[in-house]
Amino acid sequence: MKRDSGIYIRVTCAVLLALGVFARTPACAESTADDLLITHGESGRYGGSLVVLERAEPKTLNPVTALDAPSRDVIRRMMADLISINRRTLETEPSVAKSWVVSRDGRQYVLELRRGLRFSDGHPVDAEDILFTFRAYLDEAVHSPQRDLLVIGGQPIGVEKVDATHVRFRLSQPYAAAERIFDSVAILPRHLLEKAWREGKLGDAWSLNTPPAEMAGLGPFQLKEYVPGDKIVLSKNKYYWKVDQKGNRLPYLDQIEFHFVPAEDTQVAQFIAGEADILNRVGARNFDLLSGEARTKDGHLEDAGPGLEYNFLFFNLGQVDAQRFPEIVARQAWFRDVRFRQAISAAVDRDAIVRLVYGGRASALWGHVTPANRVWLNAALPKPAQSIERARRLLQDAGFRWNEDGGLMDASGKPVQFSILVSSSSLERGQMATVIQEDLKKLGIQTQVVSLEFRALLDRVLNSRQYEASILGLVSGDADPNPEMNVWLSSGGSHLWNPSQNQPMTAWEAEIDRLMRQQMTTLDHAHRKQLYDRVQQIAAENLPLICLASPNILVAARKNLGNFQPAVVDHYTLWNAEQLYWRQPAGARAQGAR
Amino acid sequence: MKHFSKQARFAISGLICLHVAVLSAGFLAPYDPTEQNRSSVLRPPSTLHFVHLRPFVAGADGHDYPLRFFITGSKYRWFFGSSSVTHLFGVDQPGRVFLAGTDEFGRDQLSRILWGGQISLATGWLAALLALTLGLGWGLIAGFFGGWRDTVLMRGAELFLALPWLYLLLTVRAFLPLSLSPWITALVMALVIGIIGWPRPARLVRGVVLSAKERDYVYAARGFGASSWHLILKHCLPQTYRLMATQAALLLPQFILAEVTLSFVGLGVGDPAVSWGSLLAPLRQIAVIGSAWWMALPVLAVIWTTWCCSLLEDNWKYTGEAG
Amino acid sequence: MFRRYLLRRLLHALFLLAGISVLSFVLLELAPGDFLGEAKLNPQLGPATVAALRQQYGLNQSLPQRYARWLGSLADGSMGVSFAYNLPVSTLLWPRARKTLQLTVTALLLSWMIALPLGVWSAAVRRGWLDRFAGLATSLLLALPDLVLACLALFVAVRAGWFRSNSAVLPVTVLVLATLPTLLRHVRSAIFDVAGQAHVRAARSQGIAGAQLWFRWLLPAAANPLASLFGLSIAGLVSSSLLVETILGWPGLGPLFLEAIAARDFYLVIGPVMLSAAFLIGGLLLGDLLLYLIDPRIRIQT
Repeated sequence: MKRDSGIYIRVTCAVLLALGVFARTPACAESTADDLLITHGESGRYGGSLVVLERAEPKTLNPVTALDAPSRDVIRRMMADLISINRRTLETEPSVAKSWVVSRDGRQYVLELRRGLRFSDGHPVDAEDILFTFRAYLDEAVHSPQRDLLVIGGQPIGVEKVDATHVRFRLSQPYAAAERIFDSVAILPRHLLEKAWREGKLGDAWSLNTPPAEMAGLGPFQLKEYVPGDKIVLSKNKYYWKVDQKGNRLPYLDQIEFHFVPAEDTQVAQFIAGEADILNRVGARNFDLLSGEARTKDGHLEDAGPGLEYNFLFFNLGQVDAQRFPEIVARQAWFRDVRFRQAISAAVDRDAIVRLVYGGRASALWGHVTPANRVWLNAALPKPAQSIERARRLLQDAGFRWNEDGGLMDASGKPVQFSILVSSSSLERGQMATVIQEDLKKLGIQTQVVSLEFRALLDRVLNSRQYEASILGLVSGDADPNPEMNVWLSSGGSHLWNPSQNQPMTAWEAEIDRLMRQQMTTLDHAHRKQLYDRVQQIAAENLPLICLASPNILVAARKNLGNFQPAVVDHYTLWNAEQLYWRQPAGARAQGAR
Repeated sequence: MKHFSKQARFAISGLICLHVAVLSAGFLAPYDPTEQNRSSVLRPPSTLHFVHLRPFVAGADGHDYPLRFFITGSKYRWFFGSSSVTHLFGVDQPGRVFLAGTDEFGRDQLSRILWGGQISLATGWLAALLALTLGLGWGLIAGFFGGWRDTVLMRGAELFLALPWLYLLLTVRAFLPLSLSPWITALVMALVIGIIGWPRPARLVRGVVLSAKERDYVYAARGFGASSWHLILKHCLPQTYRLMATQAALLLPQFILAEVTLSFVGLGVGDPAVSWGSLLAPLRQIAVIGSAWWMALPVLAVIWTTWCCSLLEDNWKYTGEAG
Repeated sequence: MFRRYLLRRLLHALFLLAGISVLSFVLLELAPGDFLGEAKLNPQLGPATVAALRQQYGLNQSLPQRYARWLGSLADGSMGVSFAYNLPVSTLLWPRARKTLQLTVTALLLSWMIALPLGVWSAAVRRGWLDRFAGLATSLLLALPDLVLACLALFVAVRAGWFRSNSAVLPVTVLVLATLPTLLRHVRSAIFDVAGQAHVRAARSQGIAGAQLWFRWLLPAAANPLASLFGLSIAGLVSSSLLVETILGWPGLGPLFLEAIAARDFYLVIGPVMLSAAFLIGGLLLGDLLLYLIDPRIRIQT
């Protein structure tokens, strides 16, 4: 009966296609008869090892529970997902899923898996693994951080097996970026993890001490060795299911080594000394240092342009306990006046921030969508230059006036001053605060920069609300607006200026709530763009976040490394690790030696 | 000063000059320490060239600006309250003289070194004073009475040494109310550093008192019925003066360095306040050390303080009375 | 007598460690923010998940409860579980502690081997331009906190092309340079103090000089302050290199500890604190024991 149902599916798909239902198989990669994925890009040579530097070591190798960035960086080289987002084009493309069909109402996805795939330990893959994967991610007892991405409209995504190579996903409501949620949901090997899951110990599985034999994945590399505090070594997965144009099986590299070096300056030193091959992200000053260093003549430095990170100044607009912090409540009267915020934004010299803080390697921002996000950026938004006069006019309209020393006072005669919190671990945001401080002095506002440790800062902003203004930055993981929901929904936990509200406090926040919810379920891209443009416009008028700048993505690699294509979304340099290769043999450094 | 050796006189004069310079920072510094010149970032120190023995600075627009003395500049306040606008030297607008270069925001480093000394030296002195007072009190009591008080001192000192001081500072820093001026924040940090630092002087004082109380005249006084407090204050305390002086000379640079270390990890004073620590913090980045050597000039101020204090300490230890 | 003294001190040490553990727990609890603070900021995590994670990590439990749990974990040797790694703290600590000790023990031996002869020599040759120069050099090194030294050393190593990533040369050099000045000054002052003492002056007046003076009179008398100094050096074996390790990328306790503090990974912070406290108390105890054994005056006093 199985074969019959398979034929039935294919006929139905053909009929549905004929009826004009939207079905996509993107053309950027094709599949062979063997169901391997053919990649585009140069064909390379085999061999060699790559040394990549990480700022911290991974905390776990468990894809379901991993929270921190270094863990995800390493895990993503060992795992694969059903549908991937290509980091250069920011479009979805087939991964383990060869093709998929969407129902007309956008609520059902039927994904077809590649045939003949094996995990890195040789065990074959089938639809049961997919079912197990999603069951594990959605299991409330596991507390996966990625579970919330798979809950649409309050309902977890429904997964059912159609046959050995087809899986159907049901959504409770149409979801605009449904394909994108499959990215980074790693396919788990049922034969290794199901037992742990049934015993309720899935969270403990695949910790750093796990022997490599107990791990398997569909990614280009697999775990070879872990040295605590020092490095983690991945070796090539010989069952990897991608080939290049000439039919060579990927990956080209024999192994990748992640070395943990906390200080960026030491990372630069290692790169200059030839001990590391890739610098994933460097600051502007180190980039200039590297450009000047004679020994990095065999280094290829690239300024990939703005990424998706946005840094901003924001004020405390939420409810603060008037008994405990009367001064903050008094100052909120200023912060809550939109003209005050507009004046601050007009007074900030964004050019100076780009020039002084980032050495010119950044883009000034007036909204949270960066220039890198061409698809979603509202290009019609104004980008006014710094204008102290306009700021003064706005303040005058709002009832502020100046005393004879030039200091700004509000209508009741109180001098306008406040503190700006920054994290002690972010040099750049501290520098931005210094620039802004000087700019605000021209308006007669005295500010004080308070550098707090990051956790203490977060506690003040999110929990105790004991702050006046702060400078923070957020990085979108994806160009699509949906991952940012928690920032813009007034009930969201990342709605920094006033998190976790029961009811939106202002009319414009209510409007943004409505628009964001609507765009989440709108399938038509043009309509979604319109809605999101309106969100950006409301944000620009009301300035809950006074956006400042977005740093460029600056990376470095050896000239010898082929197929190096830095992207502006995470992972900037290793997103195509399977395609990287050494043009010439790697030279003096022997494989595996450090 | 007569009985001080040449070395000690040199060191004391050096320290006095430093303190006078720092206290008159407003007058000696040509610019306000927070004034940013955004078109002159990371400039090396201005070169003075002399024409007929008069110093000139080359301006960015090609003109030469003569160095003027007692020039009118930005307003500043003396530490005793009155404000003034006269600076020792400077050049006419729009020229600028940066004798120690500028930082990444175009702020004059010389002005910042002078002004920064105020918070750094104040922190050092305050912390040293606190550590010495606590150490003296505790050491006197423990050394004189001995017994359980002594045990409590020794173990208590070890407890303090063992605490994760970085953590303590993070916590204290995180709790400070936001509206505190940077001066008060620096004060509180100094208090914490000082409190952390009391074990060492305490142990040393204890050692001195242990040997002092065995002296004959102490026994004699006791035989005459003198109270313990009298014995401590009149006989043991004077024995500790030389120790206290050397400890002060030792602790001052140590606590200034503690402030520098704190600034290095981001817990120093925030803008607009400036200290030697916050001036040295950019040296964390090798890119800065390589391309802007003048950013390391504040180190000279710290070295000067340390050297003078070491000379003093040496001197008081080795040329004072024996014993 | 010695046994009683030793037992008494060991008992004190135990009490001290217990006190430090309680204080550390209280301090950590006071520090604002907890492990899940950054998770709350993550736009992809909903509040329900965060609440569930809090429950899982036991962050909702009261402090005495968590302390009791930790004491229990000491019994089975795990010292608590790290939230971030989901592994027992002891498994994370021991390999890195070994690497840290590699650095610090080497630095300790090297700096003592340099400081002893140099200190003795400079105490003997108290005036002269060499002494003045040495004084200036030590002041220079003293004036630079070890962090600045580490950054400067990194810069020099990169510029000169000496930098090698896994070698201990650079960290050990920095550590030696950081501790040498103070050690040198202490040795010098210890030697100088005893040189002025009555029995040594008596020996000199009788014509004893040179090596005999040094080895039979001076050094044994100086053993007192030197023994406490040695104890202090041992005391700092775990804690002195933390920041230097982080800057120079040495895989020891430093990066683990500092990251755990930043992430508020509770038990992973307590673990290294207790380890370094144990070393500190042990080192001071060792110094005092050495004193007891060497110096008869102390025996009478205690």
